[in-house]
Amino acid sequence: MPSYLETTVDKFIFKVATDRHYSPAGVWALAEGDRIRIGMTDFLQQLNGDVAFAEVRPEGTVLGTGDEVALIETIKTNVGVPSPVGGTVAEVNPAMELSPEAINQDPYGAGWLALIDARDWPTDRDALLDAQAYFELMTGQAAEEAKKR
Amino acid sequence: MTEPYDLAVLGGGSAGYVAALRGAQLGARAVLIERARVGGTCLNIGCIPTKALTTSTELLRRARRAHEFGLAISTAAPDLPALMEYKQGAVDALVGGVEHLLSKAGVTLLRGTGHLASPTTLQVQRDTGAAISVSAHQLILAPGSITARPPIPGLDLPGVISSTEALDISDVPARLVVVGGGAIGLEFACIYEALGSRVTILEMLPTLLPGATDEGLAQRLALLLRRRGMRIVTGAQVDEIVSSGSGLAATYRDTKGARSRIEGDRILAALGRWPNTEGLGLAEVGVKLNGRAIDVDEHLATSVPNVWAIGDAVGGMMLAHKAMVDGRVAAENACGGRRTVDYRSVPKVIFTRPEVASVGLTETQARQQGADLKVAQFPFSANPRARLLGEMDGLVKLVCEAESGVVLGVHLMGPHATDLIAEGALAVQLGATADDLAWTTHAHPTLPEALLEAALGFRNATLHFQTR
Repeated sequence: MPSYLETTVDKFIFKVATDRHYSPAGVWALAEGDRIRIGMTDFLQQLNGDVAFAEVRPEGTVLGTGDEVALIETIKTNVGVPSPVGGTVAEVNPAMELSPEAINQDPYGAGWLALIDARDWPTDRDALLDAQAYFELMTGQAAEEAKKR
Repeated sequence: MTEPYDLAVLGGGSAGYVAALRGAQLGARAVLIERARVGGTCLNIGCIPTKALTTSTELLRRARRAHEFGLAISTAAPDLPALMEYKQGAVDALVGGVEHLLSKAGVTLLRGTGHLASPTTLQVQRDTGAAISVSAHQLILAPGSITARPPIPGLDLPGVISSTEALDISDVPARLVVVGGGAIGLEFACIYEALGSRVTILEMLPTLLPGATDEGLAQRLALLLRRRGMRIVTGAQVDEIVSSGSGLAATYRDTKGARSRIEGDRILAALGRWPNTEGLGLAEVGVKLNGRAIDVDEHLATSVPNVWAIGDAVGGMMLAHKAMVDGRVAAENACGGRRTVDYRSVPKVIFTRPEVASVGLTETQARQQGADLKVAQFPFSANPRARLLGEMDGLVKLVCEAESGVVLGVHLMGPHATDLIAEGALAVQLGATADDLAWTTHAHPTLPEALLEAALGFRNATLHFQTR
C-alpha cells in the first residue's frame, strides 16, 4: 500500500500516491522492473466523473511518449489519456472491459490502465513530476476547477 | 376456371397483403392466396409475437427497478400462461385487422397452397381438398422465408428449438444457449435473460449483429450484455449439438481451430432465414433464381413478363418494413406504374436491451466507398430524458460526409432507439445534413435531443457534453 499526500479542495478530497511519478496531465507511472504501470490520478478521475467505458490500446501497440494510450468515456465527457512513457503496451488491465468503475474506486491500484514495456524509462522519468511536485500542481488545478463551479 | 383476375398475389405476409391492398386501391380485381394465416412470419411467428415478449419482459425489468423511481412494487414476476395469452391476443387482433382491411378493400382471400402452373396461372390446393386454378394478368410472388437449417448434426434433438418454438414459453430453461448472434438470437437472449435464464451466445463471425449495425455499436452492445452476465463467444463455429446428461451441449471451434463445448438445458438455433422458393414451380415456368432467392430487377420484375416477386423471397434484407415497400412497388408496377425500389432509408431495428437501430451506411461501409467522413457521437448518459428513464447506456452515432455534412448513416443504441431511428431514416432519405438536424428544434426534455446534440458535434458545437 502506498502512502498518500492528501488535500481537500471545496469539500473534495484528492490523493496523490507517493511511490510514483506523474505527468502534468494527471497520469501516473510506476516502475516495476522493466515495465511501467500507468493509470489515472485521483484528481483526473474525480474531475471527469463516473467511468462508463475504458478503451485501452491493445497489447503490442507501440506508443511515443504523450501518445493516447486510452480513451475513457465517463458520464460527463470523453477523456483521451496520454501515455507518460514511450514503449509497447505489454498488458491491459482486464478489469477495464467489464468493470472500468475500478478507475473511480481505486485509481492508484485496481484501476490501473496498462503495463508498458518502456523504450527509455530514465529519460521519460526525468521529464515527469515526482509526487510532491504533482501534488502542488494538482492542488492548483483543483482550486481552478473549484472556481468554475 | 373463373374469369382471370387483374392481380393474383401468392403469399399473404407483409409483402403480399400490402401488394394486394395497394393493387385494390389502384382498381385491380385482386386475389390473395395464403396457406395459413395472413400476416405471414412477421405477424404470426416473428416481429409481433417477439415484441409482445420484449414489451412484457421490459416491463418486468422496470417493475423490479421500481425503487429507483420512488415506487414500491413488492413482487414482480412472470406469469407464463398469461404472458402467452397476451402475446396470442395481440397476434390474433392484428391478423383479424389485416383480414378486415383486405375484405373492405375487396380483395378475395383464397385459403390454400399455391404454385405456378404457367406464367399466368396459379394452381391452388384448397384446405378443403379441392384444387382450383386461378388465372391473372399479373402475378406477384410473395412466398416469404423459412427458418434456415444449415447442416449441423443434432439440430433435430429434443430441446433444440427454432425462433418459432422459442415464442411458446411454458417453462424457463435454467441455461439457454443461443446459436447465432444476429437480431433474432439477441432478442430472444434478452427475453429469456429477463425471465431468468443464464444465457450464452455463440456467434460465428467476429462481432454480434453482423451486417445489421455499425461494428462499434455491436461491440458496445456485446460489452453491455456481458456486464449483465451473459456469456458471448464470437468467432465460434458450432459443428455439433449432442445430448449431455439431462441437457444438451453445443460443440464449437474457435478462430484458431480449438474445440470447446458449452452446455445448456435448451439450445435456440437462430441461424437466419432462407427464401421460401422450393416447390413453387418457379423453374418450370422460367422464373430465374439467384441462389435460393427469386431474381428481380429494380422494378421487382422477375425474368418472366408480368410476374413480380417481393419480400423475403427475393433475398437481401429480410425485414417486414422492407417487404411492405416491395409490396407497394410491385403492386404499382403490376398496375402499369414504373416505380423503382429505393432501399437507402430502410432502417434495421433490434429490440435488445438496450435497443439498437441503424439506417444508411456504417462508418466502415462509408469508408470502403471512399467517402471523406466526419463521425459525430453523443451518449445517452448526457440526455436528460434517458436519465429520468434510468436508461443511460448507449449513444447516437452520425456518419456524415466531411465536406457537406450530408448524413450517410445514423446508428443508435439506447432507449427507444427503434423509434428514434425514424428521424435518421428521414434524414438519409432527404439527403439532410448535420446542420439540418442541428437547426431542427427538438423538444425538451426528450430522447430525440440526443440526435440534435450529435448533429451539433459535426461542427464541434455539442452543448451538453464536455468535448475537450
